[in-house]
Amino acid sequence: MIDQVRDHVKGLLDDGKIVAFVGLKDQGGNVSPHVYTNSDDLNNGFSLGDLNTPGDARYPLARIAMTAVSQDEKGAVGVLVRGCDERALYELLRWNQLDAERIVKVGIACPAELAQAHECRKPFPDEYVAGEKTDPVANASVDEIMGKDLLGRLDYWKTEFDKCIKCYGCRDVCPVCFCNVCTLEEDSLIRTGDIPPENPMFHLTRAVHMAGRCIDCNLCTEVCPAEIPLRTLYKKVAEIVKDEFEYVTGEPGDRKSPLNILGPDPGHTAAND
Amino acid sequence: MKQLLAFSGIEPERLELKWVSSAEGPRFAHVVTDFVERIRGLGPSPLRTGASARKAG
Repeated sequence: MIDQVRDHVKGLLDDGKIVAFVGLKDQGGNVSPHVYTNSDDLNNGFSLGDLNTPGDARYPLARIAMTAVSQDEKGAVGVLVRGCDERALYELLRWNQLDAERIVKVGIACPAELAQAHECRKPFPDEYVAGEKTDPVANASVDEIMGKDLLGRLDYWKTEFDKCIKCYGCRDVCPVCFCNVCTLEEDSLIRTGDIPPENPMFHLTRAVHMAGRCIDCNLCTEVCPAEIPLRTLYKKVAEIVKDEFEYVTGEPGDRKSPLNILGPDPGHTAAND
Repeated sequence: MKQLLAFSGIEPERLELKWVSSAEGPRFAHVVTDFVERIRGLGPSPLRTGASARKAG
């Protein structure tokens, strides 16, 4: 399976269709994101997250691709995409953070165990070079909270948020957190000196900013050292946005996010360009 | 916002958004009085316990 993907990427690089490939690299057992710039590179440590298959080492490759694109004047950049990475790319396109013509997706479908572990709504991209399509996993965590009464919910979240060490890991790993200035670091809005950070303001603020953006990849919950179920919160936010605005994140098309209606149209960088 | 508050365990009635024109003085007074009465009825915020209540002193 990995050979299939490697050969495909080699072809893209050799034919000059892409100038770089954002993927994963196994470096002595640690899998990390890597930007491959020539096909020889691919013989050394090329990884899909596991030895030969799409494993559980995941990174916000979509946002790394966004940076890679900005490093080159006009070339296209290839990027390894799972279902979640593709949703992130679609969302970044809708938020004008990327030029669709400069991204070449190389899809892989995730195994069922991984989809299950991350309660994945679509564990495969629209097109994929390798892997088998597995079934989406239904959302159960939000219902669990909704089953509690108001006080039960408050207790639950207050206890969870109190575990926060304010490492900003949830924000830093987020594939769709692209702002240059972050409210969470703005002292006049949220006191910045406290640990745990202002409860529940810090996390509810982040939740609001995830409205019409979060593509439900579960990376935030996966990296959280305090194991706060952040994604459950953002899933609820996504549910509200869907009910109120009929907007679903991470889908193709140029519909603007309801919280971005004042911004420029997709494909434009300013309202009047 | 109200739905998110409810999900977090905070009474959604604690939040209200109303559009009032600058020409609608009586309506503004009415809206604010109603809201203040509602909040009084709800009592102190469930968040004003422990650390935050002590700080607020």
